[in-house]
Amino acid sequence: MTTTEIFTSELPVGERFAIQRTRFEPQKAGSKKIKRISIVSGIHGDELEGQLVIYLLAKWLKENSDKIRGIIDIYPAVNSLGVDTITRGFPLYEVDLNRVFPGGENEFLPGQVVHALSHDVKGSDIAIDIHSSNIFLREIPQIRINKEFSPTTLPLAKELNCDFIWIHDAVTVLEATFSHTMNSLGTNTLVVEMGVGMRLTKEYGTQLLNGILNLMQKEGIIESDEQFENREPFTSEIGDVFYLNAPCSGLFVASIDHCAVIKKGDKIGDIVDPLTGSILAELFAPNKGILFTLREYPVVYEGSLIARIFGENDAEN
Amino acid sequence: MQKIEIFRIDSLSRAPLVVHGYLFKGSNPKAPSIAVVGAMEGNSILPLYCASSLVDFLNNKIDKERIEGDILIIPSINHYALNIGERYWPLDKTNLNMMFPGYGLGETTQRIAQKLFDAISHYNYGISLETRVDQAHCIPHIKLLKSGYEDIESAQKFGFKIIHHKDLESTDTVSLQYNWQLWGAKAYSIVCPSEQQVDTAFSNQILQAMLRFMGKTEIIDYKLFHGYQSNILQKESIEIIKSPRSGIFIPYQKPGHYVSNGQAIGEVVNALEGNVVHKVTAPCDGMITCMFSNSLILENAVAFRIAKIG
Repeated sequence: MTTTEIFTSELPVGERFAIQRTRFEPQKAGSKKIKRISIVSGIHGDELEGQLVIYLLAKWLKENSDKIRGIIDIYPAVNSLGVDTITRGFPLYEVDLNRVFPGGENEFLPGQVVHALSHDVKGSDIAIDIHSSNIFLREIPQIRINKEFSPTTLPLAKELNCDFIWIHDAVTVLEATFSHTMNSLGTNTLVVEMGVGMRLTKEYGTQLLNGILNLMQKEGIIESDEQFENREPFTSEIGDVFYLNAPCSGLFVASIDHCAVIKKGDKIGDIVDPLTGSILAELFAPNKGILFTLREYPVVYEGSLIARIFGENDAEN
Repeated sequence: MQKIEIFRIDSLSRAPLVVHGYLFKGSNPKAPSIAVVGAMEGNSILPLYCASSLVDFLNNKIDKERIEGDILIIPSINHYALNIGERYWPLDKTNLNMMFPGYGLGETTQRIAQKLFDAISHYNYGISLETRVDQAHCIPHIKLLKSGYEDIESAQKFGFKIIHHKDLESTDTVSLQYNWQLWGAKAYSIVCPSEQQVDTAFSNQILQAMLRFMGKTEIIDYKLFHGYQSNILQKESIEIIKSPRSGIFIPYQKPGHYVSNGQAIGEVVNALEGNVVHKVTAPCDGMITCMFSNSLILENAVAFRIAKIG
């Protein structure tokens, strides 16, 4: 196990900014080519679920170093300044790092940071970018895949022990993300969204750890007698995602639990006005299916996302 | 002048956000029309001031008959951010200028963008007053995206010293300027210095450039002195000077100054011990277009950008 700084920058007053990577390799070097996987988190500083997953993974790898057959690189905190300061974007610049890829050596500092990351991850066979939605929404463990790259990434996603795989159309603005950049460079890259910003969800952490170990086992990156859990995900290929947005501003009070199977017309919650004690809007499910995204932060404006529901293509939906 | 409501958004605890536009109806139906959008971000002081100064000029300083084409000015879209010192949309920190053309059934900022775009997309010309995304002061200039629809010839009519003819990046496709162009308008971004105090030399320059443009396109019957014959700069025309050390950044020169190859243009001082740790020198002859705007500079941050000459 070796820890390396892949990017450093002296800060103005007695401090140093660094992105660190820890590499796990087989105990005995062989002659045959081995696979490499990179696990990345903390591109958004307010998303911490990946910290737990990577901690659990690093612990497992340390305790099972004899089972390692490939190279496993972990990057727990890309936006390390943001992680320590509850800041989603790159501090000072207020820039979303996941909108400035691929970056470049002569760009502004956030552009240099993402360039260093993509340069370091380049050459990996697989990369997993772990996100926690944001502070506003809670997500069940899910994989997001760009349709353009799905022929190679979907089979890998199915090994990650997640509940849902969302295959979305190509969107030009998303070309500035880590996943699009790495997929374009030939690394099969998956985006995980799970939990909620600024918090840890322990059961999700364990669930994804099992998925990563299962994927690595299937890819020959680890070799273990252990059978890792891998649940069957439902994929967006067989249905549609329905959005529920706030029809007005106010305080959202949920009526249901997260990750619930719901029927069309089930109550999702109310938007209320504390000042007058009135209900401004009652919100109901527009279709039946599984509610995989639910508003966590209660203050909403007109248009704020309240819920996303995945429903199969049938007569009722 | 008509004061028209562009959109209104309620809030849980704040007063509603009500965005107004100021419409000056032109006297000549055949004259082209123009829309001007001011502050979309909370740090856009000059865009706000230049747009409101334009309202004042058209309302109080020119005969109404001399306004030939319709002119719509929306000085601020984002009062919520301006009023509390936030840069982006205060709740979720999304950038309004990455939400175009907008979506009426989407997130709040997508809805705002759609309502704004509905009000301005049919104008012949469009000006978006902006500041740089990164931590940099620059001289006022035109940013024209290489969208395939851009009109570089008409951009010359502002008379700025520089037109930055910028390569299109994926994130530019959700900007106001790009979508304005896509909808058929001749659209330009005026990039304003990002100082938080109004520099009247800059604001005058920007206001005059907008009036010069309107005069030359016959939207108003008002002739200013000619401006510069603009230099069109591409990425290759700009020399990037990074600071290899962090510390306190003391620039000797400012944006707009001409410098010579080898000339000392700034220094970086150790923030705790006060000694100079790096002298910044110009690597070429040229004019400084941008410099780092914070006195505390990080290692490898871009200290200066110089447009090469000679």
